Amino acid sequence: MPNFILAIDTSCDDTSAAVTVGNTVLSNVVASQVELHKEFGGVFPTVAKQAHKERIAPVVQLALKRAGISPSELSAVAVTQGPGLAPALEVGVEFAKTYAADLKLPLIPVNHIEGHILSVLAKPRTSSSATRAVSKKTTTAVPEMSYPCLSLVISGGHTEFVVVHQPGHYERIGWTVDDAAGEALDKFGRMVDLGYPAGPLVEQFAKLGNPRAFAFPLPMTTTDNFLMSFSGLKTSARRKIEELTAVQPLTKQQIIDLCASFQYAVFHAITYKLNKYLLKRYADPSQPPLFGVWLGGGVAANSTLRKMLRKTVQTYNLDLHVPYSKKLCSDNAAMIGVVGAVHLNENTDTSRSTIERKPNWEVGTL
Amino acid sequence: MYIRTDIKTTAQSEVIAQACQILKAGGILIFPTETTYGAGVDATNQAAVDKLLKYKSRREGKPLSIAVIDQAMAEKYVEVNDAAKRIYERFLPGPVTVVSKSKGVVAQGVASEYGTLGVRIPDYALVMEILKAYGKPITATSANGSGEKRPYSVQDVLDGLSEKQKGLIDLILDAGELPKNPPSTVIDTTLETPVIFRQGNITLEGAADANSATYTSNSEGETQEIAQRIMLKHWEDLKTKGVFIALHGSLGAGKTIFVKGIAQFLNIKETLTSPTYVYMQQYEFNRHEIIGQLHHLDLWRIEHPDMIDRLGIEELLGARQVVAVEWPSLASEALEQLVKKHQVTFITIHIEEKGESRHIKCQTLF
Repeated sequence: MPNFILAIDTSCDDTSAAVTVGNTVLSNVVASQVELHKEFGGVFPTVAKQAHKERIAPVVQLALKRAGISPSELSAVAVTQGPGLAPALEVGVEFAKTYAADLKLPLIPVNHIEGHILSVLAKPRTSSSATRAVSKKTTTAVPEMSYPCLSLVISGGHTEFVVVHQPGHYERIGWTVDDAAGEALDKFGRMVDLGYPAGPLVEQFAKLGNPRAFAFPLPMTTTDNFLMSFSGLKTSARRKIEELTAVQPLTKQQIIDLCASFQYAVFHAITYKLNKYLLKRYADPSQPPLFGVWLGGGVAANSTLRKMLRKTVQTYNLDLHVPYSKKLCSDNAAMIGVVGAVHLNENTDTSRSTIERKPNWEVGTL
Repeated sequence: MYIRTDIKTTAQSEVIAQACQILKAGGILIFPTETTYGAGVDATNQAAVDKLLKYKSRREGKPLSIAVIDQAMAEKYVEVNDAAKRIYERFLPGPVTVVSKSKGVVAQGVASEYGTLGVRIPDYALVMEILKAYGKPITATSANGSGEKRPYSVQDVLDGLSEKQKGLIDLILDAGELPKNPPSTVIDTTLETPVIFRQGNITLEGAADANSATYTSNSEGETQEIAQRIMLKHWEDLKTKGVFIALHGSLGAGKTIFVKGIAQFLNIKETLTSPTYVYMQQYEFNRHEIIGQLHHLDLWRIEHPDMIDRLGIEELLGARQVVAVEWPSLASEALEQLVKKHQVTFITIHIEEKGESRHIKCQTLF
């Protein structure tokens, strides 16, 4: 009997539910408004507790329906416990507790960052009608990777370097001390009137522009660690824009050049620290070699970032692994299900009624 | 048990000799001043200062100040800058405490955690004579226990004390009932503009009131220090009612840096990162055994005021809760009403860039 897992993520704006089995994703519903409008009609607000409360039950139903699984076939419920927005997390956790208790299923609390880390392991189901045909081989989370690997989680809320010794065994080695990389891109985008979230638009514009048109500083170069900072970049971008607009409104060429240059600066800050880490690690004979570099998180969908990271890791004969779909990059429940499979057998307690949200949960800690 | 000496019926030379003997032995002296009765020990004697801190109980980071005979003596213990010099010349001796940077000569616990130290030159002949004879500064804190009423008579002093506290006193110089003058005006001269932290009888034009002051910061470190001092001033409010801080300023002005200062004040060890993506981050704090939470919010991404209800800000307000909100302008009025309703202290901070430095305007609205 394959271990079907119902996974739930309500860590921030999106309400998401998925059904997974091992690393295989059978369904992955993310309640962006567009998707729910199609299925249910009506307007679904985008923020926090109330919105999650309104959306969670239909989203779970839809995930089960798309997977072709009935609740009685489930083996466990996995839910994001943190980090994230406290009242939003609470909705998912409370829903999952009740749902698991009603069906007498084990409840697996999952760290959202661990979800982004393991998102590269997720696999699509092989054929669309193959729910019943999921082979026994894929029923447990058998990683086909060798370890250790280095995972980079780059998103609107996080910028983390984490060594994956094994799925479930992590070591956080670098992070941002202020803004996340994706946040810097979003805030920059609003400064040049690209709306919110501006990240994807900045990426499109950047492709047309010259990344060397404007020089931005490379932050945190004097610190001998793998910490990153994007707040100063944001300030220097604002000053540059103010300087330019004092003369005349930004021209289209200036906007695309600013996008290209700023995006390059943000990504360069990441590749700089990545290179620094790899250099140090490979110079130390006591450290085992890495078997790959993984990329997860919303900004992982950016092809320029992927290209820059590939170039960096190739020097060390490493491959860059990314999730099979861009939907696995942004917040989603399928990645929570993949993590759930890793931890499934650790949880013999079926009640887990004591689980509470953990808004500041750092990956690799309890 | 203490000795009680009536200074009106005892020869002054004898009073001075008695006082010096007690101070030298590390004892606590209760003495009259032009404001209230004070509690004095040798400010350079660590054991004596520790005894005084025990007597005062629950100081929670509030500094003591010292009494000296003149500016020359003050300069052995603090750096007297031009702003301080002007105040010494105009008002001292008199009911003014001038806060300067400590030179680190006094015992631990006398200066503030930020290395600042208040200096008094009492306008009270007997105290001046004792100081001259003793040759070292004595602490000049009021003689009441923390939180007790201002002592204008020896009876006032004793009424508010436990038997244990009374047992710590070594000598009381009884001058009978003192005129009911308010405590000294406290002026901090370590910031670019002198700031009045406590208003007594003396007013100083040109100095800012701490409830409506503009500070100048030349570095991130200074911004954090200013935040800490503002929090120290509101520590009592924080414990009893809670504090709400609205942070205004453009992108990159240093709002998050300011909140990092608040976190430092609250002894929070975690790295405080931008809450933009998740709207809200929460941190537990424990400062002097007072346990509470810091809620760091960022409304930058919010486009409709009704979404603010959904973040549940109202539930965060209360005693031992600090709520710091970046980009509050979208909902300024609604937030103000909410904070007023819950009788939480409301502080606004406006950070403005002036070249490389920042002007930080702080107003306590209620």
